[in-house]
Amino acid sequence: MPMANFPPDDGSTEPHESRDRLDRPEAAVDESDLELVKRVQRGERGAFDLLVLRYQHKVVKLVSRLLRDSAEGEDVAQEAFVKAFRAIGSFRGDSAFYTWLYRIAVNTARNSMASRHRRPLDYEADLSESEQSAVAARMRHVDTPEAAALTDEIHQTVNRAVEELPEDLRTAIILREIEGLSYEEIAAAMDCPVGTVRSRIFRAREAIDRQLKPLLD
Amino acid sequence: MTDQIREQISALLDGELPKGEIGLLLRRMERDPGLRRSYESYVLAGEVLRSPGGIVASRGFSARVAAALEDGTSLPESAPVPLDRGSRRWLRPAAGVAVAAGAALAAVLLVRPDPDASARMAGQTQRTPSIRAVLPVGGASPTPEQNQRLAAYLVAHGQYATPIGRRAAWSNALATDPGITRVTIEIPEQR
Repeated sequence: MPMANFPPDDGSTEPHESRDRLDRPEAAVDESDLELVKRVQRGERGAFDLLVLRYQHKVVKLVSRLLRDSAEGEDVAQEAFVKAFRAIGSFRGDSAFYTWLYRIAVNTARNSMASRHRRPLDYEADLSESEQSAVAARMRHVDTPEAAALTDEIHQTVNRAVEELPEDLRTAIILREIEGLSYEEIAAAMDCPVGTVRSRIFRAREAIDRQLKPLLD
Repeated sequence: MTDQIREQISALLDGELPKGEIGLLLRRMERDPGLRRSYESYVLAGEVLRSPGGIVASRGFSARVAAALEDGTSLPESAPVPLDRGSRRWLRPAAGVAVAAGAALAAVLLVRPDPDASARMAGQTQRTPSIRAVLPVGGASPTPEQNQRLAAYLVAHGQYATPIGRRAAWSNALATDPGITRVTIEIPEQR
């Protein structure tokens, strides 16, 4: 999978592994992100809220891993979003918005670590799956018990909802969300029209949402 | 109708919504909290599926960011330039220079010492204490040039006015546009 525009000339080396490790950005420019950025640049604050909703989990996860602290991770992630908002006039759309946001988040985390004289987690480090889980578990435990419990419940609810989906919906949502296939690729894999793929993915999301709703409201 | 819109949101998240439909959908989402909630839920489900057991932002994180942006310290640092106006990028430095030159000129014109005033002040024995002033420097309504001129005027006025007059001038200026950015400056003691 192509990747581009990682944190710049600050001593880091080029990344080389799967993007999931730290949610490294893809190169593809998302039209809806660009449309939202244009709106923010025209002074529509509400458009930035949609960008926050879209990327909050990615940024919080990235920063928390860098800091090894999910509680502080949220504060630094918030700071990164504020910096991004303040600097959005300089975003030209040459790269994907998340690529640009990712760079701001990494630099904000590094500044935070430098100010506390802490050794950053090397995001090139080749952590095994079990080590990643251990880091994530340790970070969850620094949260309040209530927050950790809610996070666990969200994970369980989503996974249970997916398991309960009819097979055609489950396949469609897994191929999209986990495998990252396009609608056209999913249509080819499932031997159905693209419109049907779109509808199945939507229905799968709705089914998950119905089970998540009580936790989120 | 709402199902149709939420299906559009789902396609939007996947980068599969036709470009012509994006603008209208985003406007709807900005206005409709219910649509934003669906969007947030779809995003969350995707994150959880891609990263089992991983970290997700806590409830209320986006609201905290919004609150942080609401306070006056989080205004964009410079006037944003829309993405589709790249061909005019060269104008930005020139405009900056023009603003700075205008501000300098305003300061020279407005703060220029008046020899008669100096003579009058030389006769005064009472010294005005050092003060801190909150001055407007930018905002949506007045242009930067207007703000610079106003700021320079208030500095000049503050050096010569009585405390009551000074307070009245600042109150008027600040009440004119509640949306303007404010900075605190030190006005040196008069000698």
